[in-house]
Amino acid sequence: MLDLIFQVAILLFLSGAAIAFLGAARDSRTARTLSLVCSAGASALLAIFAFVILVTGSPLSLAAWQPFPGISIAFFIDRLAAFFLVLIGAVAACVAVYSTGYVEHMEGGSRRNLLCGCTAIFVLAMALVVASATTISFLFFWELMAAASFMLVMYEYTHAGTTRAGIFYFVMTQLSTLFVMLGIIMLFVATGSFAIAPVHLTPASAPLVTAAFLALFVGFSIKAGIIPFHKWLPYAHPASPSPVSALMSGVMLKVAVYGLLRFLMAVFTPDLWWGVLILIAGTASAVLGVIYAIKEDDIKGLLAYSSIENIGIIFVGIGLFVIFSCTGFVLLATISLLAALFHSLNHALFKSLLFLTAGSVVHATHTRDIEQMGGLAARMPVTSALFFVGAAAIAALPPLNGFASELLVYTAFFESVTVADPFTKILLFICLALFALTSALSAACFVKAFGSIFLARPRSPESEQAHEVGPAMLAGPAILAAACVVLGVFSYQVLAGFGYHFPIPDLLLVSVLLLLMGALTYVILWFTASHKERTGETWGCGARSLPSSTEYTGHGFSEPIVTIFSSVYQTKKTVTKKYYDEHDCIFAEGTAEIRLLKFFEEYLYLPIARGATRAAGVIARMQNGCLDTYLLYVFVAVVAVILFLGVAA
Amino acid sequence: MSDPAFFDGIVKILFVCVIVTSAYIITTKNLISLVRVYALQSLALMAIALSLAWYENSAILLAIAILTLVFKVILIPYFIATVQEKIRIKRDIEFHFLSPTSSLLISLALMIVIYITLSHVLSDTLAKGSLFFFGAVIGISLVLMGMMVTFSRKRAITKVLGYLSMENGVLLFGLFATELPFIIEFLIVIDLVILILLTTILTVGIDSTLEEYHNRLHRFYLWEEQEESP
Amino acid sequence: MNYEFLAYGIINTACVVLVAPLFVSLVKKVKAWTQGRQGPSVFQTYYTLAKLLKKEVIYSRNASWITRVTPWACIASILVASLFVPLVYVTAPAGGIGNIILFLYLLVLGRFFMALAGLDAGSTFGGMGSSREMSIAAVIEPTTIIVFAALAFVFKSLNIIDMAGMAASSGTVVAPTLILLGISLFIILIVETAHIPVDNPETHLELTMIHEGMILEQSGRNLALMELSAAIKQVVLMALLINLIVPWGIATTLAPAAIGAALALFVAKGAILALVIGLFESSMAKMRFFRLPGLFMMAFFFSTLIILIEVFT
Repeated sequence: MLDLIFQVAILLFLSGAAIAFLGAARDSRTARTLSLVCSAGASALLAIFAFVILVTGSPLSLAAWQPFPGISIAFFIDRLAAFFLVLIGAVAACVAVYSTGYVEHMEGGSRRNLLCGCTAIFVLAMALVVASATTISFLFFWELMAAASFMLVMYEYTHAGTTRAGIFYFVMTQLSTLFVMLGIIMLFVATGSFAIAPVHLTPASAPLVTAAFLALFVGFSIKAGIIPFHKWLPYAHPASPSPVSALMSGVMLKVAVYGLLRFLMAVFTPDLWWGVLILIAGTASAVLGVIYAIKEDDIKGLLAYSSIENIGIIFVGIGLFVIFSCTGFVLLATISLLAALFHSLNHALFKSLLFLTAGSVVHATHTRDIEQMGGLAARMPVTSALFFVGAAAIAALPPLNGFASELLVYTAFFESVTVADPFTKILLFICLALFALTSALSAACFVKAFGSIFLARPRSPESEQAHEVGPAMLAGPAILAAACVVLGVFSYQVLAGFGYHFPIPDLLLVSVLLLLMGALTYVILWFTASHKERTGETWGCGARSLPSSTEYTGHGFSEPIVTIFSSVYQTKKTVTKKYYDEHDCIFAEGTAEIRLLKFFEEYLYLPIARGATRAAGVIARMQNGCLDTYLLYVFVAVVAVILFLGVAA
Repeated sequence: MSDPAFFDGIVKILFVCVIVTSAYIITTKNLISLVRVYALQSLALMAIALSLAWYENSAILLAIAILTLVFKVILIPYFIATVQEKIRIKRDIEFHFLSPTSSLLISLALMIVIYITLSHVLSDTLAKGSLFFFGAVIGISLVLMGMMVTFSRKRAITKVLGYLSMENGVLLFGLFATELPFIIEFLIVIDLVILILLTTILTVGIDSTLEEYHNRLHRFYLWEEQEESP
Repeated sequence: MNYEFLAYGIINTACVVLVAPLFVSLVKKVKAWTQGRQGPSVFQTYYTLAKLLKKEVIYSRNASWITRVTPWACIASILVASLFVPLVYVTAPAGGIGNIILFLYLLVLGRFFMALAGLDAGSTFGGMGSSREMSIAAVIEPTTIIVFAALAFVFKSLNIIDMAGMAASSGTVVAPTLILLGISLFIILIVETAHIPVDNPETHLELTMIHEGMILEQSGRNLALMELSAAIKQVVLMALLINLIVPWGIATTLAPAAIGAALALFVAKGAILALVIGLFESSMAKMRFFRLPGLFMMAFFFSTLIILIEVFT
């Protein structure tokens, strides 16, 4: 019965894609809507199916295709895979609902049908990666996912920035596939099969298995956006359309997390230093991600860096899980693993919510620059409320879901003071302090984002004339916002329902208390305070009706943090002045430039790219297209064979 | 009379005082408070020596405590303060190699590294969790932090105070890790007195006095007039 | 239904609301004395709050729903946070109330709303206040977490009410490093409640007011709520310091006499702490904003040292 539902879902996705492609010739709006409805329905079906498996706990096995013996496309859905399928299904359904409204406002005519079709294929590929039982099918659907997302990123290929972002993204995703393929091949050499099954370590195969883990870790880190492999994220997310950014940031990054978790839990028996490596990578991504997010003034770039930060937090949870399971603290390991999984779900929900509402805002104001927005809370009230829920969730405010998962991570950290090894203890203290720092900085970042976009006065004519978006573009994010609130307030009950009784506070009680205290104060003040209200001008030191240029800008808001952490940003200020006279007294003209160092781009990516170009240039001389050279190669090869036969015999 | 938990508690608090004063010496820019904080550090050290003397009923430690009190808490800071008042420098704002924030982070890292190293090296002589081991760790940290002051600050007077802080560290290490004979402590104090004399010589020149120093500065218009302090 | 805990909640909230304005005035009185003035009466804050309630509320034309919601959000979050720290009566916690991380993040909730309200009216004062407040909060957060981790290690519990109970039932200070942790908690108190050297709420220049800048556009009963929540935040952090370091006298039974005595004792201890705060504030000038991270680095160094000594010996 259940496998029937799974197959129906797959068929629905494929039919959605087919409908969209078929309608492409006529730029058919009904084809698009129908295709998106199919995608939404298929995603919801997938989520329900996976939820049933999650609750009942009995895994499902499906074999699809076996072209050669030993190589097969098969699916195996256990609780871990089911959890991620719920995530994919829920988010994709809401994004599809949103897209029915959004895609009509996009430009590009019949290309929009291709967008809808590719979205369906993208979501299907992600779901099948998670459901894979063999490494071959994992890799196949991983590549399909990469190809579909590349098409989606390159949607607006007429813009120069988009082309650059797309190519960058494509190179990085191929690099990640390369490393994953390398890891899978090494596993095949060590074990002889392509199944995702536990590996038995023999002394001979131990270095190979460690190398396989490192290759897989690098591959998944590139796809997940861990520093230093993160540079494609801030290019790809702003360049792609908003629903695509929501899917990529909310769901695709989690598929990489799933890959790492699956291989860590089902295939390898991890070592302690693996956990330390994952923890350090996670902490570095979290801190640097939020520090770079604060200085961004492109709304989608800010959200992209914030995704890097949250993926860092998830990796911190995974690293803690490995460390605690290697040192034998089972309860702490469970708490950490649940923290990582719960945070994946929460981040998928609130990040896609943020991207979708950001898409509404970008559509209404025709710009991505938050310095041109402002005052949208009055003009787009529902969108501002939804964005606020997302911002509050990502800043980890109780009682929303972001706080619930960060609370689990904090609990794991605080209880870990009892771990014996002093070196690990010190590492955990450092990571705890840095984790607290990232949490506080992300709150600052989203105060800046929400304040600059929605509050105060509009800073441009387009923002002044912005108006609320249509119902489809409100319904999708609204479902996600409701899920954020419900998962946060009922977090203790949800976890207890799945059998995990941790000593964490009951956020339902806290929410009830908050409402109670608010209501009590309101009642008391109703009777004791004055009811008179009126509106007036903001105090501007006596000037009447100040313009919007006197408001605090986003740059100004983040300036103290940028100055405090200036050693990370490496701000360079260059000033050149030209004078009329030789004593440098009469000023003629000058230029001033402030540059923030793009550390990873200038010191890591560009040197590697230049080295690769040089190597390619050398090799290109060997394949120079001249017939004579190729004939020379044939001649040399024949002479070598003759010599070999003559001498070796 | 000598309750181990009570002794433990007092000494822990004094350890933290000593390290915090040393951190203050690394990061401060105010030269007047620098000398006072050094006096405070020596006072904390004297208190540690006193508690150790009480706990172990040792007369030598009592003598060391009194010696520390007389010289390092009273005489040497008074002497440096007098010299400072005469030459009238108040601030040292230049840092070389290390900024205050990074020097604090490096000190923390150094303490951890020393702890790990000593737990390997001294594992047979001292129990790892005991206070004596921690005292040895803090002594060596104090020496290294004093050395950091010596190379990261540019003014000579700050370098001298860094060196004095190093001597405090050696004293602390000696109190906890070994049996410190009294004669060695006395010789160390004489060393420090010679150092202070040398500082004065560096300031005024080996052939002149403080008055001639004033006159030279007056001649070059380098002397700021100040009202008489009440 | 846990009646003891319900009684604890009612008593604690009532005491907190009653006592909070008193300590605000006490600190102002001490500062006035050191400046050679007489200063306002110790009940002045009560009179001010009563006066504000009678005035009308004026909203800016640019303000959105954030400005209207913020005072209620702030008072609700700080009242719930005050349930986490016992003032006069300690009992067994229920439902996870008292969790130290949740306590910290309830304070963050109030701060989030206040910062948004500062940006809402579109004035430069509010923007600067919000920006500086979020920056300071970010830089002091690692120190706060390390101090809380040290507290959790010393008391072997993540629940503040449990910690207070443990401290009250032991005869002497639980561990001597608790006195040093008290110094760290004092520094956190100074930072979180807008005292010199971090902030000076008595001036109204945009470069010197952080907390005051964010509530500049509030008026009438909204301003009364914001002032009251700031006062409650101060008394809650003072209670955290007092009841973990010097808790003796706190009531452990539900007898009115014990609770009355505990309240009087708490007011006395709080008055001494307010005296210390006032003297500390009067002894130094407000630091330049970009010098503050250096100060916080020193506080972080101090707290890390304490936790290292506590954990490794």
